[in-house]
Amino acid sequence: MRKDHDLRELLKGYAFLAPVCALLLAFVFLPVAGTLLDSLHRDVTFLPRRFIGLGNYRSLGSDPGFWQSLRFTGLFTLVSVPLELALGLAFALLLEHPTSARGFLRAGVLLPWAIPAAVSGRVFELIYNVQYGLANALATGIGLSEGPVHWLGTSAGAFLALVAADAWKTTPFVAILLLAGLSAIPEDLYRQAEVDRAGPLQRFFRVTLPLLRPVLVVALLFRTIDSLRVFDLVFVLTGGGPGGSTTSLSLYGYRFFVGGDFGYGSAVSVVLFLLAFILSLLYLRASRFGREIA
Amino acid sequence: MSEERRIRVLYTVGAAAMSAFCLLPVAYMVLVAASSRPDVLSAGAEVRLTAGHFLEVLGTGSLHFPEYVVNSIVVSGLSAILAVALGAPAAYAVTRLELPGRMSFLFLVLAVSMFPPVSLVSYLFRMMSALGWINTYAALVLPYTAWVLPLSLWILASHFSRIPRDLDRAALLDGCGRLAALRKVMVPVAAPGILSTAILAFIFAFNEFLFALILTTGRNARTIPVGIALFEGLHGEIPWGMIMAAATLAVVPVILLVLAFQRGIVTGLTRGAVKE
Repeated sequence: MRKDHDLRELLKGYAFLAPVCALLLAFVFLPVAGTLLDSLHRDVTFLPRRFIGLGNYRSLGSDPGFWQSLRFTGLFTLVSVPLELALGLAFALLLEHPTSARGFLRAGVLLPWAIPAAVSGRVFELIYNVQYGLANALATGIGLSEGPVHWLGTSAGAFLALVAADAWKTTPFVAILLLAGLSAIPEDLYRQAEVDRAGPLQRFFRVTLPLLRPVLVVALLFRTIDSLRVFDLVFVLTGGGPGGSTTSLSLYGYRFFVGGDFGYGSAVSVVLFLLAFILSLLYLRASRFGREIA
Repeated sequence: MSEERRIRVLYTVGAAAMSAFCLLPVAYMVLVAASSRPDVLSAGAEVRLTAGHFLEVLGTGSLHFPEYVVNSIVVSGLSAILAVALGAPAAYAVTRLELPGRMSFLFLVLAVSMFPPVSLVSYLFRMMSALGWINTYAALVLPYTAWVLPLSLWILASHFSRIPRDLDRAALLDGCGRLAALRKVMVPVAAPGILSTAILAFIFAFNEFLFALILTTGRNARTIPVGIALFEGLHGEIPWGMIMAAATLAVVPVILLVLAFQRGIVTGLTRGAVKE
């Protein structure tokens, strides 16, 4: 009798989770499993589907386009994430400082984050315009360059342009995360440091930075995962060019899907998926997964 | 200069630089949208302010621009409502019921938010094609809901876990069922948190690009980010004024949300990522 009751309660409990499970199964896990399966096939529109084992992955190994996109994605992540963390930390320190303009500053910082990357990508496309864009107006205005710079016309320029646009869009997110970490640091520690006659810089390096470390690690992993799968901004701002030099892994895989080569595109996506997955395991450990709720 | 004063100056300069960094591109977008020519920064006196680009964007029927805005709002709104409606019971179960396996459940849910969207799109495209749903709201709302659910569930669970257990225990002792306890106690108490969760979900759905790019083909379901990304103009030369006007109109909904719910968004973002 009692056992029956427990079982009924348990089933009722799982019923609360059922809709979420069903939705995630249908629209996330099945698609990922489908992609994994597709990647083991030669699967091109209008041709019969054929199982080829790891054939697509072997082709990836000797595909310069794949290595180029892997290199770009890695380099983009390596440059933009540290930049965003440094800027984000500076922003967080500024946002935490009590001033009457605090609400305004926070709302202003949230704006770039809230604007769709596809939309801000178009704005940056104009900013980098050779003849009359804001970037060249600023660069020549403060004497950084003498003539107009072809930002999107060279590999290095396009790379920097993407990093800057990405930093604009995602630094706010980092800042908000770090701000929460900053406000969790007990006031007492700062007071103690002041008693010890530590200057502002010493306080920063002895109190702020060490105590902020867990949140910094979370922000680092979160941003790294996000940056590896960059698509919108690249698609809109450079289209992967010039000469494919800014094609991210997501964009590279997407191109094959659009071209009807589902098997090969899937293989590219699976590689990206595995990279992101390994990092998310690290992230889950760093965020002390479920500590509060469990 | 005293040290205190030096620090104050430093903060003021820093805050000004930060605001300039964040707002300059937005201001530039609005300026070009409202100017008669895109080379406002160099053309000098020949530029005048005009509402022409806005009117053209809204009035040119073949651009379908107002339709894209409506699509975006409907799709994101429905996804946000669904995500919260499905997420709340799950968050309740995770925080209040001693279910075996709930940590694995949370783990799986969280893993979802790390998946690269490109690893889902080809399957989703074939699935929606087979169902005949390409270019319908359903083709976007269902994947979007699944996509924003993990974050919503996490933030909701974080809000629920802060409600004293005695509150809903009292309701259960009064003879309420679990569902009634959720509806009558948890939801009203956590209402501000639930609202800000829905707003975050809305913004995430509103910003989504890749799914919408692949799963829509035209005005019936295409969303604003895709509409603007693919907007090349009608006569060759890129119509920057119109694109910036379209971009300005497109970001009005999210800007209003940020201004109105700044505090809730900050809390939600933090709890969604740091999990504590």
